[in-house]
Formats: sequence, C-alpha cells, structure tokens
Amino acid sequence: MMRYLLVVLFFLCSSAAWPQNSVENLVLATAPIDQSDMNSIKRGATFFAANCMACHTLVYLRYDKVAQDAGITLDKMPINVSNWPFGIKPPDLSLEASIRGVDWIYTYLHSFYQDSSRPTGVNNLLIPNTAMSGILAPYQGDQVLVTNKVSLGILYNDTNWYDLLVLTKQGSMTPEQFDATMADLVNFLAYAAEPFHEEQRHLGWWVLGFLAVLFVLMYFLKKEYWKDVKKNK
Amino acid sequence: MTEKAISQKNRLMQWVDKRYPLTEFWQKHLSKYYAPRNFNFWYFFGSFSLLVFVMQIATGIWLVMEYTPTANDSFASVQHIMREVRYGWLLRFMHTTGASAFFVVVYLHMYRGLMYGSYQKPRELVWLIGMVIYFLLLIEAFTGYVLPWGQMSYWGAAVITSFASAIPYLGEQILIWLRGDFNVSGVTLHRFFSLHVIAIPLFLAALVFVHLVALHHVGSNNPDGIEIKDKKDKEGVPLDGIPFHPYYTVKDLVGVVVFLFVFSVIVFFIPMMGGYFLEHDNFVPANPMVTPLEISPVWYMTPFYAILRAIPNKLMGLMAMASAIAIMFVLPWLDRSRVRSIRYKGILSKIAIVVFVISFIGLGYLGSEPVSTVRTLLARIFTITYFAFFLLMPIYTLMEKTKPLPERVTE
Repeated sequence: MMRYLLVVLFFLCSSAAWPQNSVENLVLATAPIDQSDMNSIKRGATFFAANCMACHTLVYLRYDKVAQDAGITLDKMPINVSNWPFGIKPPDLSLEASIRGVDWIYTYLHSFYQDSSRPTGVNNLLIPNTAMSGILAPYQGDQVLVTNKVSLGILYNDTNWYDLLVLTKQGSMTPEQFDATMADLVNFLAYAAEPFHEEQRHLGWWVLGFLAVLFVLMYFLKKEYWKDVKKNK
Repeated sequence: MTEKAISQKNRLMQWVDKRYPLTEFWQKHLSKYYAPRNFNFWYFFGSFSLLVFVMQIATGIWLVMEYTPTANDSFASVQHIMREVRYGWLLRFMHTTGASAFFVVVYLHMYRGLMYGSYQKPRELVWLIGMVIYFLLLIEAFTGYVLPWGQMSYWGAAVITSFASAIPYLGEQILIWLRGDFNVSGVTLHRFFSLHVIAIPLFLAALVFVHLVALHHVGSNNPDGIEIKDKKDKEGVPLDGIPFHPYYTVKDLVGVVVFLFVFSVIVFFIPMMGGYFLEHDNFVPANPMVTPLEISPVWYMTPFYAILRAIPNKLMGLMAMASAIAIMFVLPWLDRSRVRSIRYKGILSKIAIVVFVISFIGLGYLGSEPVSTVRTLLARIFTITYFAFFLLMPIYTLMEKTKPLPERVTE
C-alpha cells in the first residue's frame, strides 16, 4: 500500500511541468512581517476571511479568540464541499506557518504563473501542479514562466521566484500593494499558528531580567560562603 | 531567632528525630557529606539533571490535566493546551525544551564521568545505575515524542517499533505485542502514554534516589581522580573535603541560574530550535496513509540511528546499535589504568577520548542527515572508531605511561 502511494507520489512529482531540481534551488523570499503589528494581522485576517475561507479552514484558531485579540469577527465560515476538484481537500492552515515557515508561504503566494496545461489555468513554482486555483490573480495579475532567465540563476545556484516569473498583466494591485497585502496575510497566518507569540516574547524578557538580577545575588552569596574555603587552605 | 524560638525548634526536631532520622539524613547527605573542594564546571551537570527531572515531572503533571491520549483527539488537545489553556504554551515549551535539555546535561554529566574516571573502583555501581537511568530516559523520551500524534510521532513510532521485527522467529509477534495492534494505532498511543507518565517516571525517580545513595556511600570523585578520604584530620573529616551544604548548594545555585537563563532563552524565543527540539513535520497530524519523505529521530538518538544505518544488514545493524549502548555499561571493567583522571593518564587515552568525542558528535550529525555515499562511508568510519574507543581500552590504558598522582587535590 505504502509503496503504491509512494510510486503514485513519485509520478505526480515527476510529471511536473517545470523540472523538479530547479524548483528545489528556489530561494525563499523573506516575508517582511512584524508579528507585534496587530493592525497588519487584522488586515491579513480580513483578507483571509474574504478570499481564503471559501476553501481553507483554521480549525485550531478559535474565532472568538481572534475577535478578542484583534477586535474583528470572521463571519464567512468555510464552505464544506464533499467533492473537491481533483479529490484534494484544501489543507487547514492553522499550523501552516509552523510547518512550512512564513518565508515559504510568502514565496508560494507570489509564485503562481499561467499554465494552460493545468485545469485551473495556473501552476506554482514551490508546489508544481498545485491544486490551488489562481485566487490571487485578480490582485497580482498574470505571471508567465520565462526560461531564458534560468541560466543566470543556475550559474549562481540561487534562483528567486522573480527571476523565473514575469508579470504580463497587472491586477487590481500594484506589485508593492500586493507585497504588502501578502505580508499582512502571512503575518495573520503566523499569528494563527502561534497566537501566544507576543505574550511569549513579552514574558520572556521579564524572566530573563529576573534571572539576571538573581544571578548577581547568587554570585555574591557564593563568593561570601566560599571565602572560608580559601582561608582554610 | 530568639532563644525561646530556638529551643522550641530544637524540641520539635528532637521529637521528629526520635521517630524519623531527619537530622541524620540531612547530615549524611548534605551538611556532613564531604565533597572534594576542587569541583570544576563539569560538576554542575549532575545537579542540573536533577533540576530538569523535577521540572519535567512538574510540567508533565499540568500537561496531563489537559492532554487526551486518543488517536482522534490527542493532536487537537495539544493545540488546545497551546492556545486555550492559560500559560499552556509555557508548560508545553518547558516540557519539550526540558526533554532536549535533559539529554544535553546527561550527556555532559556522562562525559564528565568518562574524563575523570568516575566509573572506576569503587564507583562501578554509581556508573551502572546511571546507565540504567540513561537507558530508561531514552525510552521515556521516545514514548513522550509519540504523544502529540503528529506525523513524526506516528512514523517515528512506526520505525522504532519495527526494529523488533528484525528479531529472528519471534520478531512479528514481539512487534504486535509492543504496538498492541497490527499497525501503530490509537492503542499504541494509549499504552505509550501510560508508560510515559506512570511506569518509566516511577522507575526513574527510584533509580535517581539509588544513584545518589550509591554516590554518597562511596563519596564523589574529583578532577584529579584521587581519593580525598585517604587524608583526614583528627575528627575524620577529609582535608580536601567541604560540606556539600552550604558550599556546593550555593555554588550550584549560581549554575542553576545560568542554566535557567539559557533554558529560558530557548523556551521564550526559539522553542523549536530550528527543527532540532521540535520538528516541523510534527505540526502535521498523524496520517497512516502518507509517509513523510524524511523520517529522522530527535537529535539525542541520532548517534545510534547513524550506527544502525551504517550497517547494510538490518539485524546486524540493530545488534550494532544495541551494542553501542550496551558497551557503555561495561566501561568500568574496560579501563585498566592505574589512575582515574584523564589529567594523569597517558597520551593514548587522551587521543582516544578526542577520537571518541569526534565519533559521537559526527555520528549524531550524520544520523540527522539524509543518506548519501559519503555520509554512509563516514558513518562506518565513526562506528568503527566509536567501538574501538571501548574495545581497545583494556589495551591502551595498560600500555601507556601514566603521570604520578599528586598527594592532595590541586587548585
């Protein structure tokens, strides 16, 4: 059974339109996020509710907790479709930032391109033949894969998504606006994976400060006691 | 305290002491337990191990209050702890960081014993009991790692329990007996939970106590590896000994604060430790239908995993892996040197210990990386040098010329 699945998986991967190895070299873009920026998280949450929640769930993020922390209510619940296209259920994204990392999500969201061989009309650099549709195209615009830029990337063994993709038609957002929106969205997903993040850092500084003071006290206490040890010798 | 208060306290102590040896216990193990005065940095790690053990039990008790050990609910219950339980994330990160920290301090504690010959006569039992503790700790860590029921939990449990199937004739039966099912399932999870929170901690607590009783019976070794009990004053107190309390209690407190500082930096700022303390794939719920591309154990088991993979035959690999741990048990009878400490041993022992450290760390690194031709070759070389360190020890420790021991402890 397992071997069968692995074989299927192998063929799925190898049938990718773009050669697998060059995608592996893809350098992840750094997601420009600030996890303490609650406004950015709110904007990301709004975008997520409007665009992503038709398919993706966030089962571990309690909506009332979002409401408490960010003062918003996500009113659009995920649509429960029993038959997903290609039989692939869109993944729950509660822990996506912990599994893949924010840079991976940021790069993934940027690296969709037009591919007429796919039923959805789009493909992705990070997940070749992704089942996800071009939901972001209305904002980002249409991108196409250019192969002539690849030689440059292979030479230095690091290829960025924008080395391979060219924007042919701009969407409703400028590239700068799209970057900022995706940063907000990724910031929201980082929050969804670790809602305790800010509390954790905040408490951490207090704990370290306390231990630093305690160290000074303990150091002099030890010195005081050990005076006799040296005297005796 | 006023005189009256002091006399009342004395009366209370007298009352207790007539019924329970409280003062005697206090003196035997703390205020009149004479430890060598030349303990260095390496002697912190025994106390740290005890601290981490207590911390794991305390955080564990609170985690169990909210954790559900069933295949359907365990993953979600961990997320419930991380999100809805007040300071649940703190308890869990302390517990996960504590698991790795336990092995860091225990490995350094064992290395200290190795350097200064703390396993030599008359401390063989201290070493043996310690080795049993270490072995139980590996099982404790493994059973605990299964509990969050992520992909790595599931497939790690599948791979490690499958080792049993390599045993000739009885393998398949033992495998089913271990898992309680034909595959790793909720039944396996539930029994591992029981072992993790009751059976193994109970044995560990008892063995830690026995480890300390044995140590306090023979007395602590020291970096010079000479017996402080050989030189005593008129009252029978070792000339180079100082009471553990207050001298080493206050010294260990300084170390404990430094340890907790480093520990807190990890807990509050880098709890995943770049995938070494918490693996990224373990944030994906267990799925028996999807095998992860890379299944590797957590870092503290990778040296043995590398030995297993270095040998092409599965049964032989398993035996090599088991021997790698087993050979540490007989260490006290492999060292034939006239001196204990590496300070007075000859050049061969010094080279051997360096080779051993490189082999162990090298194997640890290789065990966490995917297999390649070069890595397999390196793993084979390190496996040979790892075993050579132990198997050749009776020869090189006898052959080499040792330095003369000092009369009293140095420093």
